Amino acid sequence: MRLLLVEDEPTLRAQLREGLMAAGYVVDEADNGRDAHFLGDTETFDAVVLDLGLPVLDGLTVLKRWRDAGRTMPVLILTARDQWNEKVAGIDAGADDYLTKPFHMEELLARVRALIRRASGQASPVLRCGPLALDTRSGRVTCDGQPVPLTSHEYKVLDYLMHRPGAVVSRSELTEHIYAQDFDRDSNTIEVFVGRLRKKLPPELIETVRGLGYRMAPPA
Amino acid sequence: MPWRRALSLRVRWLAATLAALAVALVLAGVFLHSLFQDHVLRQFQSTLTQQLDQLTARLEFDAAGQASIDPAQLSDPRWHRPYSGLYWQLDEVGAPADAQGALRSRSLWDDRLRPEPDVPADGQLHVHPGTGPRDAPLLLVERTVYPADAPQRRWRLVVAGDLQEVTAASDRFARVLALSLLGLGLLLALAALAQVSVGLAPLRALQRALTALREGRTARLQGQFPAEVQPLIDDFNRVLDRNAEVVERARTQAGNLAHALKTPLAVLDQAASRADGPDPAPLAALVRDQVGRARRHIDWHLARARVAASQRLPGQRTPLAPVLAGLLRVMSKVHAERALRLDCTDIPADWAFAGEEQDLQEMLGNLLDNACLWARTRVRVEARLDGGQLQVVVEDDGPGIAPEQRQAVLARGVRLDEATPGSGLGLAIVADLVALYGGALALEAGSAGGLLARISLPAVR
Repeated sequence: MRLLLVEDEPTLRAQLREGLMAAGYVVDEADNGRDAHFLGDTETFDAVVLDLGLPVLDGLTVLKRWRDAGRTMPVLILTARDQWNEKVAGIDAGADDYLTKPFHMEELLARVRALIRRASGQASPVLRCGPLALDTRSGRVTCDGQPVPLTSHEYKVLDYLMHRPGAVVSRSELTEHIYAQDFDRDSNTIEVFVGRLRKKLPPELIETVRGLGYRMAPPA
Repeated sequence: MPWRRALSLRVRWLAATLAALAVALVLAGVFLHSLFQDHVLRQFQSTLTQQLDQLTARLEFDAAGQASIDPAQLSDPRWHRPYSGLYWQLDEVGAPADAQGALRSRSLWDDRLRPEPDVPADGQLHVHPGTGPRDAPLLLVERTVYPADAPQRRWRLVVAGDLQEVTAASDRFARVLALSLLGLGLLLALAALAQVSVGLAPLRALQRALTALREGRTARLQGQFPAEVQPLIDDFNRVLDRNAEVVERARTQAGNLAHALKTPLAVLDQAASRADGPDPAPLAALVRDQVGRARRHIDWHLARARVAASQRLPGQRTPLAPVLAGLLRVMSKVHAERALRLDCTDIPADWAFAGEEQDLQEMLGNLLDNACLWARTRVRVEARLDGGQLQVVVEDDGPGIAPEQRQAVLARGVRLDEATPGSGLGLAIVADLVALYGGALALEAGSAGGLLARISLPAVR
């Protein structure tokens, strides 16, 4: 899952990046409103963590411009502004959640996780596909109740696919959401991860759609 | 009280006007009366002079210079009726009063006129007051006549009229005059009353504007006032604007300071969290604890600054419906994970709270947030307008608070469950704000077993 982190305070940004990356997210960063707007407008992200008090262009304006341009990715506002009218303004500008500083990293992670899950239409924190269950809170995967050990990259691929049950996901889309922007992207490695996943899981769960990509669907 | 001042102003104004009016009317009456009396007297005198002229024309002298008047030739019946009030008398100058040859009108009967002993020169008229029959006040007009062929015998011809006629006319006039002036005075007094009312009407409009301001329907003094009052109103409005501006600035500064502190605190907290591994370092624990405290202080004082800044300004009016709708939108997003049902009764658009929007948001926001944190499936909001008070009920179906603990949660910084996120200030700040607005906050057991918070706040009607 690929996140955009917008925060102008360098230390806090570094801490947030570390926390989010430790939780398995791919993180792109911006330290001002203009860059943030550009990234959010041109790249696809699974969620955005947005500070409001930003140089050049304030967070609320950035958010409004994204929404006006039809960008629908979930946005969590992370700000020191904790007055109710500011929360109302943030939500009305199109934010999906609002968290005030100082905050606990665990809470931020829980909220980002929930945002991504709800944005993909999943109501429960435990994603299911046939015998397979993925608990987004703990990062544990089970098949028929038996734990399935996965590497970090395998988990990321499975996590992304399970958030979009029944939908065809292309290799480049997978690459984009699993590697950061500046990473040397090679879609062949995706094939390797999918191959390994098929060995660890019931192989018919991940279907190859020729020329298009992969689809995750419960066995008929 | 502005009304009392206006009343005293009105009384002063009326009293001064009425006093001046009374003096002017009395002076006018006295002057007019004397003018009339003078006029009537002149008229009377000229009538007597005419009579004298007519008598002079009827006067005849015999060869010895003896004057005579033939009464039959005198047409005015008053000459003949006794004591009629019109008399004449002819006597020789220098002769004793009861001398032979003196002639008198029949109206004099057995009395006689007693003119002054002076003798008018040729062609001159003498006018004297005097007394006649029955001591009636008379006006005498006399002249000296003599026969052309015996100029040594001089005669005095006197005509007298009763002054009671003059007095009666003057009295009649005085009565009419007094009545007219009284009527005029009454009309003028009414006019003065109307003038005062019209003149002071802007002050009553001002009082209404002040009431509107106090009740929060307007933020400034509204309306156009007379040129004498308008500068005062303008100045007052400028003071109000400046007040609002100063409060707003203080609020913004307090907010900015708090927000400036929060980001460094967040950095410290994150740094300490990462050091806070399986073997907790004492420094990390200390930092986290202190950051928590600092955060509570900031929240508390920021909230207190907001509370202190509010309420002082008159003219506040915050419609309830949009504030509640905005907060519910926030709740549905921020607590989306809990999939709660948020129910709110319909609120008429004209129900308004007599206070600051931010304060209303703070009170309702904290109550709603608290309810959403604890609710299992639903939160119910209900509003009522009850005799100048807005009543808002926020109820959840969570575990509720035991009766003996309800008082404690309203105290500063108390949190019943340390594991639930939140600064623990929410309900205490609500209680503070409610108290500042002279409202009431009650915590009760809800029908679904959860907490039911009921606040009543002053409404704007």
